[in-house]
Amino acid sequence: MKSEIKTYTRPQIKLLLIFDHGVLILGAAFMILPVLMLLQMTTMPDLFNMKTGPSLAIGDQLDDNFRKAMFEADGFSGANTGVRMLWNSMILGLGFAAGKIVLGMMAAYAIVYFRMRFATFAFWIIFTTLLLPLEVRILPSYEIVQHLGMLNTYQGLIIPLIASATATFFFRQYFRSIPEELIEAARIDGAGPFKFFVDILVPLSQTMIAAMFIIMFVYGWNQYLWPTMITTDEDMFTLVRGIKQITQSLEGTSLPEYGRANMLALVAILPPVLIVIFFQSWFVKGLTESDK
Amino acid sequence: MTRVSILSAAALSMMASGVAAQTEITWWHAMGGALGETVNQIATDFNASQSEYQITPAFKGTYEEALTAGIAAFRAGEQPNILQVFDAGAATVIGARGATIPVQDLLTANGVEFDINDYISGVRYFYADSDDKMIGMPFNSSSPIMYYNLQAMEAAGVEAPKTWEEFEAVTAPALVEAGYTPLAQSHSPWIFAENFMSRHDLPFATNDNGYTGTDTQILINSPEIKMHWSHVKSWLDSGYYAWFGAGWGDNQTPFEEGKVAIWLGSSGSFGGLSKLDLPFEFSATYLPYWEAVTTTPTQTFIGGASLFAMSGKSDDENKATAAFFEFLTSPEVQYMWHQETGYVPITIAAYEMAQADGYYDRAPAAEVGIKQLSLPAGENTKGYRMGFYVQIRDVMNREFGRILGGETSVDDAFSAMEREGNELLAKFALTQAQ
Amino acid sequence: MKRAAFTNRWLPILLLVPQISIIGIFFYWPAIHALRSSFYLQDPFGFSETFVGFSNYASLFNSPAYGRAAIFTVCFTLLVTILSLGIALLLAVKADKVVRGAKTYRTLLMWVYAVAPPVAGVMGLILFNQSWGPIADLFKSLGWDFALGVHYYDTAFAMVLISVWKQIPVNFIFFLSGLQSIPKSVREAAMIDNRSTAGRFWDVTFPLLAPTGFFLLITNITYSLFDTFGIIDTVVKGEPGNNPMTLVYKVYVDGFRGNDLGGSSAQSVVLMVLVLAMTVFQFRLVERRIHYT
Repeated sequence: MKSEIKTYTRPQIKLLLIFDHGVLILGAAFMILPVLMLLQMTTMPDLFNMKTGPSLAIGDQLDDNFRKAMFEADGFSGANTGVRMLWNSMILGLGFAAGKIVLGMMAAYAIVYFRMRFATFAFWIIFTTLLLPLEVRILPSYEIVQHLGMLNTYQGLIIPLIASATATFFFRQYFRSIPEELIEAARIDGAGPFKFFVDILVPLSQTMIAAMFIIMFVYGWNQYLWPTMITTDEDMFTLVRGIKQITQSLEGTSLPEYGRANMLALVAILPPVLIVIFFQSWFVKGLTESDK
Repeated sequence: MTRVSILSAAALSMMASGVAAQTEITWWHAMGGALGETVNQIATDFNASQSEYQITPAFKGTYEEALTAGIAAFRAGEQPNILQVFDAGAATVIGARGATIPVQDLLTANGVEFDINDYISGVRYFYADSDDKMIGMPFNSSSPIMYYNLQAMEAAGVEAPKTWEEFEAVTAPALVEAGYTPLAQSHSPWIFAENFMSRHDLPFATNDNGYTGTDTQILINSPEIKMHWSHVKSWLDSGYYAWFGAGWGDNQTPFEEGKVAIWLGSSGSFGGLSKLDLPFEFSATYLPYWEAVTTTPTQTFIGGASLFAMSGKSDDENKATAAFFEFLTSPEVQYMWHQETGYVPITIAAYEMAQADGYYDRAPAAEVGIKQLSLPAGENTKGYRMGFYVQIRDVMNREFGRILGGETSVDDAFSAMEREGNELLAKFALTQAQ
Repeated sequence: MKRAAFTNRWLPILLLVPQISIIGIFFYWPAIHALRSSFYLQDPFGFSETFVGFSNYASLFNSPAYGRAAIFTVCFTLLVTILSLGIALLLAVKADKVVRGAKTYRTLLMWVYAVAPPVAGVMGLILFNQSWGPIADLFKSLGWDFALGVHYYDTAFAMVLISVWKQIPVNFIFFLSGLQSIPKSVREAAMIDNRSTAGRFWDVTFPLLAPTGFFLLITNITYSLFDTFGIIDTVVKGEPGNNPMTLVYKVYVDGFRGNDLGGSSAQSVVLMVLVLAMTVFQFRLVERRIHYT
C-alpha cells in the first residue's frame, strides 16, 4: 500500500475539495442552526410558538420580546430584569477572571522564583485542587458560605469559585518557560523581587494574561450550579441562573413566553460569544498553551 | 392591571417608608407566573389595608427550592418570617420542632380568634400535629380532580366516568372511537398514589399515616394500588391512557391542545385553564374510584402548600405575621384567591361567600375541588406525615415511569418503592433522634 | 530546576497567603466537612444528628438507583467523549486542509465554546419538544417514536447529543492547533512517502496528534462528569422522575432537593476519591509531557 503511488485526476481533486467543504459546512450548520432557531422564535407571537414551535416564518415580535426580556421582571421586587441579570453576570465574569489571575500570578510567582523550605508542600496543597471541581464539594461549600453570611452576595458568588488552582498552574508553566537569562540580567541590574515582577514579568505575560482573562471570563459567566444555589434574591440572579426561571416559566399553566425566554437565552450567550470571536487568536493561544 | 398596581404599590411603599416605624416582615414563596402575581396582589392589598405592617413576598423558585432556601436561611439565622412549604415537605418542617411557631399558638398569642372548625374539613388536619394542633396555615390548597373536554365527551356520546370500571368499559373505548386519547394525568405520586389511598380510605403508612411516631413504615405495596397500576399499564398499552413524562406541563399540554379528552390535574389549575381561552368547553368532576375497592369513596388529601411562621423573630414581627394570617384567612381575600387561581377557599365562611355570590352558578367546575374535599372523611383521609418525603416521591415517580416505560413490572416496582421508602423513613428517624 | 532566584523569607509567604487561605476556607474545609457529614444523619434544620458510621456509604452501594446512575454516568461519559472527539477530529482535519474560507470555518466551528450549558439545554428542550420539536418530528417520521422525558433511552440520547454539541469546539480548537503545529517538512515528507490521504492520516498525522488526544481525553471525561450538570438539569426540567442522571446530578438531587445531608455527603466523598484518582493519573501524565516535549 505504501509503495503504491496514487495519483488523482483534476476532477477527482475537485470532488475531494467539494467533499471537504461539504463536511465543514455541515459541521458549521450543526453548530449554528439551534441558535438561529432560538432567534427565529423570538420574532413570533407566543401563541404561535406554543402551537407550532420553531418554523421558517419571521414575525415582528423581536422588539417587543427584547423589551420584555430586558426590562420586565417577575416578582414583587421587580428586580430581576434582563438588565439587572446582565449586570450581575458581568460582575461575576469580571470578578472571577480578575481574582483568579491576580491570585494565580502571585502564587505562581512565589512558587517559581523563590527558594522556600516548604515549596513542594505548598505546591501540592495548591495543585490538589486542580481537578476536584466545586460540584463534588458543593454541599459543604454552601454551608460554609452560609455560615460566613455570604449567601446572596457578590463575594459569596465569586470567591468560592476561585478556590481552585487552574490559573496558578497555568502561570507556573508559563513562568517556567521564560528564559533564565532574563532573571540573571535583572539581578545584575539590581532589580528586587517587586520590581522584577512589575517591570519584567507582567509585561512579558501580557498576552498570556489576556488569554487567561478571556477563558476565565467565559468560565465565570457560564457558571450555573453555584449561582443557582447561593443566589435566592431576585436582584442577585445572573443570566445563566435565570435560565432556570426561564424553563420554569415555560412549564407554567398560562401561555408560555417562548419569545421572551429565548431572547434572554440569546442575551446570556452573546457577550461571551462575541469576546471569543473577536479575541479568537488570544483565546486559542491561551487555551492550547494551558495544556503544556 | 396587576403590573400597574404593583408599580403603584411600590410608589406607595416608598412614600410610606418615609413615615414612621412600620414593622416589616418577609414571605418566601414558590408561586411563579400568574400565581405569583396574585400573591403579590395579596401582599399589596395587605400593605394598603393598614399602616402598621409591611409585608414583602419573594419568589424562591420551585417548592423544593423554596424549602431548601428556607432551611439554609434558618441555619444561618436569616430566615424569613413566613415560609411556604409544600405538602411533601410538611414532615421535615413539622418534625423540626423549634423551627416554627405553630400557627395556632401564634394567632391566639396575638389576640386573633382561632377555631380549627372554621376551616373546611379537608384542610383542617393536613398540617396539624398528632394532637390536632394546627402547625402550618393552609394556603394554596388544592385537590386532584378530573377535567374533561365537553366536545370530546359529546362526540363519543359518553358522560364523565364516576368509577374506573366505567372508564375502562365505557368511556375509554368510546373516546378512542371518537379519535381522542382518553386519559392523561399530571402527577403520578400525588394523584395515583397518595390520593388513591385517600379516595379509597386505605392506610398509606403505619402510625396513623405517620402522624403518631417517627418509626413509620410506608404501606405503598398494597394489592389495591397494584391492581390500579396494572390497569393503568394496560390502558397505556391499549391507548386508553397516555403518559408524557414526569413534568406537570408535559401532560397538561395535550389536554389543552384537545388531543386528550380527560386530564387529571389540580383544582388549582382551574384559574390558569380558564384564562387560556381554549378552543373547546371544559368541565370538571370528582376523581374516579374503583367500585371493586370501595362503594363509599371518601374525600381526598389536599395538595399545594401551607405557610409556616418561622421562629426566632421578635414579638413585633410575630404580631405582624399574625395580622397577615388574619388578613389572609378573611373571607374576602380567600374568595379573591379562590377565583383568581382555582385553589380552594380554606374557610367555611369564604366558601359560603362564594356560594352566596353565585360564583358556582357561573363556574360550576370551580366548586369541584372544595366539594371533593368536603366529602365524608375516613380513617385515613386526614393526611400523611413522612420524612424525606420529597425523596420518597422521587422514588415513586421513577418507578411509575419505569412501569410505564416497560422497564419493570408492577410487582417489582412496588416492592422497590416499599423498600426504598422504608429505608428513607428509617434514615429520617435517625435524623430526628436527640 | 534551579530557577529560584530570590531568597526573601517572607515575601513568598505573603504572596501565597491569599491563594492558600481561599483554598483552605473554600476547598479543604468543605472537603473535610463533607467527610464528617458523610458519617452522620442530620436533621435538615440542624437541630439533631446521629452518628451512623459507614451506613450512608453502605446504603449507597446497596442502592439500585445509585448503581443505575453510576452505570449511566460511565456510558454517558464514554459516548460524549468518543463522539465529540471523533467529530471534532474530522472537522479539524478538514479545516486544516481547505484554503478558501479557512478562517470563517474556524470561527463558525468554535464559537459554541462560549455557550453556557443550560442554554444548550434550553435549545435541546425545543428541538426535542414532544408536540413540535424539529428533531423529534424527524425521528417520528423515520418511525422512531421519540419522546423526551418518557423513554429513558430517548432522554439519554438527547442529553448525549446536546453535550456533544457543546463539547465539539474545545476539541476542535485543540486538534486544529495540534495539526497546524506539525512541521511543514514532516508533511512534505509524508506527501512523497504516502500519496493516499487516509494512509497519510493514520500513519503520520494521527500519531503526532496522540498526545493532544490523550490530554483531551481527560478534559472530556471531566467535562462529561461535571460540566454537563446544567444540560441535565434543564433537560429533565428539575424533575428527576425516571430520567437518566449523572452522579453529580444525584448529589444535587439528594442533597438539595431531598435535604438528605448525610447521604449526599457520602456521594460527594465517593466522587472526590474518584476524581482524586484521576488527578494523580493526570499529574503523572502532565509531568511526563513537560519532561519530554
